[in-house]
Amino acid sequence: MNLDIARTGGGTATVTGGPQKAPPASAPPPGPAPEAGGLVPALQRRLGRGKSIPFGRLLGPLLIIATWWAASAAGWLDPRKLSSPTSVLYSAQDLWTSGRLQDSVQTSLSRALLGLLIGVAAGVVLALASGLSRIGDAFVDGTLQVKRSIPNLALLPLLILWLGIGETMKVVVIALGVLVSVYINTHAALVSIDARYVELAEAQGLSRWQFLRKVVLPAALPGFFTGLRLAVTAAWLGLIVVEQINATSGIGYMMFQAQQYAQSGIILVGLVLYGTFGFASDALVRLVEGRVLSWRRTITA
Amino acid sequence: MASNHHRLSGAPVAEAVDSAAVRITDLTRSFGDRRVLDHIDLTIARGEFTALLGRSGSGKSTLLRAVAGLDHGTVGSGEILVPERVSLVFQDSRLLPWSKILDNVVLGLPGKDARGRGRAALDEVSLAKRESAWPHELSGGEQQRAALARSLVSEPELLLADEPFGSLDALTRIRMHRLLRRLYETHRPAVLLVTHDVDEAVILADRVLVLDDGDFVQDLRIDLPAERDPGDPGFQHYRTTLLGALGVLPAHRTKEQS
Ligand SMILES: Nc1ncnc2c1ncn2[C@@H]1O[C@H](COP(=O)(O)OP(=O)(O)OP(=O)(O)O)[C@@H](O)[C@H]1O
Ligand SMILES: [Mg+2]
Repeated sequence: MNLDIARTGGGTATVTGGPQKAPPASAPPPGPAPEAGGLVPALQRRLGRGKSIPFGRLLGPLLIIATWWAASAAGWLDPRKLSSPTSVLYSAQDLWTSGRLQDSVQTSLSRALLGLLIGVAAGVVLALASGLSRIGDAFVDGTLQVKRSIPNLALLPLLILWLGIGETMKVVVIALGVLVSVYINTHAALVSIDARYVELAEAQGLSRWQFLRKVVLPAALPGFFTGLRLAVTAAWLGLIVVEQINATSGIGYMMFQAQQYAQSGIILVGLVLYGTFGFASDALVRLVEGRVLSWRRTITA
Repeated sequence: MASNHHRLSGAPVAEAVDSAAVRITDLTRSFGDRRVLDHIDLTIARGEFTALLGRSGSGKSTLLRAVAGLDHGTVGSGEILVPERVSLVFQDSRLLPWSKILDNVVLGLPGKDARGRGRAALDEVSLAKRESAWPHELSGGEQQRAALARSLVSEPELLLADEPFGSLDALTRIRMHRLLRRLYETHRPAVLLVTHDVDEAVILADRVLVLDDGDFVQDLRIDLPAERDPGDPGFQHYRTTLLGALGVLPAHRTKEQS
């Protein structure tokens, strides 16, 4: 095969497969599409997962909503079992005008947030205590591993007995779930620190405090974020559980009442809210994680 | 347990060290039944550039780790006196991936002007412009240069290095040899450089030790001009001697002897 060198408009030489395929000298740059035997732009990681799609994470949920909409419009769905997206929107509008929507969301969000904050703080403190000292390890780690194997649901009767069915119990249940996720992952990261960095710290003569600040804590941050993302999920899960129990306010209560009066629209409003909060909070944690861990070069980059 | 470790700073050590940078007396280290260092004595003068050769598994790293005070938990006895300021260069650059280059260089460096000194050290290894890069953004040679800057910024009286150029390509290694020699001439620390490369030892060091079977089998002073040429007959002589001590004589020599 004889190769031609064709000058493209950009002024770069392009080797093409043959004279018949070479673009005319006056043609504009042919763009990135290479021809057989031509030069290929080496931009993408071949074994990576390809370019990221903007807002790609939204595509799946949007597809489901579109299908739902189409099925309702076609009359395939019994409105008493599953209302159409339009009537869900109307339900939401009614709830908004009466002020119930805002109240319920505010109550639920503050429960979840309070539980999350307390749980994360406690999880981090316990992980530091057991990850950094043998005494802490002896007291804390075994206890937490036992707690890990008991689902929160199994603790509910006892917690209700101790704390009643008020807000305290609700926040404690959420915080407990959060605590375990944060603890397990942060602790694992703290105790699995690379021995080579410990050696470096010794060779550089770091004090115990400097060692913590410059080596141990940054090394444990990725583990903490893994725990945090699981914790956010755990917080929503805990919220849904506690709002089923004798609640008198919140999204769960709103849905419970709708169930009594067979208002499937309102139930769906509640579900959409839970889903949206879960999705948005995970996106937020990812965003913060990306900023804080910018030193990491992973395949997602 | 390692005993009699006098790695700590303080008047008695400084006094005992006097004109020597390192004084090792009757040092023994064992792993299980295997005695890797067997009653070793070694003195390295202040400002002396010493290279340590030996076959793989002869105990070079074990000796270096003992001098660096990093061998807790290893069975042994003996006495090691070292100066107050000791630096260590590893085979991997061992930069903290979550710290920018300058932060890596000043890791553990005391004093108000630490960052200023860090910048000067980076300048010495021609990395001044990369001070706020992440380690993974540097090439292997640049990472090792940053590691050199980190080890020299504290103005050590003793520089320990365990195959610091082992993972670099041949060209980069030649550059690093020149750089290390130049830095050495500026700062004048005593150096103990572990290497498996005979040429590297003869190019860089003023004294070459060969470790074998638990003790030194060769202690050679290299009497060559500062600019050393591996093609030079004097250079060849040292190389042959050292290869002999290492038990890998060139083919024609082996024939002659048998
Ligand atoms: N932590 C350890 N546990 C058990 N044996 C060890 C340990 N470290 C080293 N050894 C043994 O001690 C001997 C000397 O090891 P050392 O690492 O000092 O060799 P070296 O001269 O540095 O070799 P190389 O050139 O391959 O780096 C080897 O036989 C090795 O197997
Ligand atoms: Mg070694």
